[in-house]
Amino acid sequence: MEFGEESSPALAFEKDAFELTVEDVYDISYVIGRDLLKISSTGEEVSDLQFRIVRVLEMFETLVNKYNLSVEELKMERDNLKAELDRIIREGSSSSGQSGQTVGANQLVVDLNDPNRPRFTMQELKEVLQERNQLKAQLMVAQEELQLYKSGILPQSEPAMVDVDLGTPAATEDSSSTINEKTTIGKL
Amino acid sequence: MKLTLKSLASLTYDLLFKLLLIGDSGVGKTCVLFRFSDDAFNTTFISTIGIDFKIKTVELQGKKIKLQIWDTAGQERFHTITTSYYRGAMGIMLVYDITNAKSFENISKWLRNIDEHANEDVERMLLGNKCDMEDKRVVPKAKGEQIAREHGIRFFETSAKANINIEKAFLTLAEDILRKTPVKEPNSENVDISSGGGVTGWKSKCCS
Repeated sequence: MEFGEESSPALAFEKDAFELTVEDVYDISYVIGRDLLKISSTGEEVSDLQFRIVRVLEMFETLVNKYNLSVEELKMERDNLKAELDRIIREGSSSSGQSGQTVGANQLVVDLNDPNRPRFTMQELKEVLQERNQLKAQLMVAQEELQLYKSGILPQSEPAMVDVDLGTPAATEDSSSTINEKTTIGKL
Repeated sequence: MKLTLKSLASLTYDLLFKLLLIGDSGVGKTCVLFRFSDDAFNTTFISTIGIDFKIKTVELQGKKIKLQIWDTAGQERFHTITTSYYRGAMGIMLVYDITNAKSFENISKWLRNIDEHANEDVERMLLGNKCDMEDKRVVPKAKGEQIAREHGIRFFETSAKANINIEKAFLTLAEDILRKTPVKEPNSENVDISSGGGVTGWKSKCCS
């Protein structure tokens, strides 16, 4: 029956001490102030007590205010530390991957059962490609040379030009020129 | 008739120019080269492995010029292989794809590669390839022209598929190199058998 405007400030008395806000302190002050008015007419001693109660309520207000601000600060501090911890854990896991335990950001897992897994080094590929391109260039030269013979620009009888067949060292003189050819290629 | 290195080379060409194609993977470097060397186009995409080359002989100002054109893989994983071929190049074609914004953005990265790995006096050229695909264009022609102007290099929009500007680009680059080449009897010196493979095989024939 007395609910409504009267009951709500009084609710502040029922709250947990650590949940109190400055507004609750004002509600408490309101209720206590109202009760004090009821008894203030009875005597002189009451006004001293009234004064002290107001003083205590002011101190209470300051304490509640300070406490709430501290809680807020601590919450922020906690969130910052949590973020920092997450970051360190992430960095820690990626650097421990480099020491071999887990796989880090710059590492690749190779499936040994995959027939198309990478197997050759960049240097090996480089050498194979160089050899391929050399052979290709030599083939082109040989083709051009053949073209010149066919068109009759070059005489067939010129012996210095006919050591294209590198694989068949028939005479000793030929084989020496073959070795010569090989060492030349080796230098390229 | 005793054939020497010089006389034999002179029968086939007067000068040898080494060119290099670079740019992002998939912009059409191999297709551009294939169009120029074989006048053909292939729609199936096969990523170049490391480095390859083709030869084409052209005639400029009465001179037979043999072009050895190195085609590089655009993929980053071949970077160490491809950059070792920059040094020998006399001309470099930097190719992007007008339907691929990323390939255009990467031009500065490729230009830096040239600065780092190529000869200082290398002739450079910028190509915006796939210009037949107007409906998918994302790089305006003006942007290509602008970046080429900023770096003082020539620019063409090309299409290997529709055969637009391909021969023109290669011939222009060869002409620019020819203009810088000192006039002399250059045959023997130009049969270069260094690093990248080159035209080889003559040497042994003058030894016996």
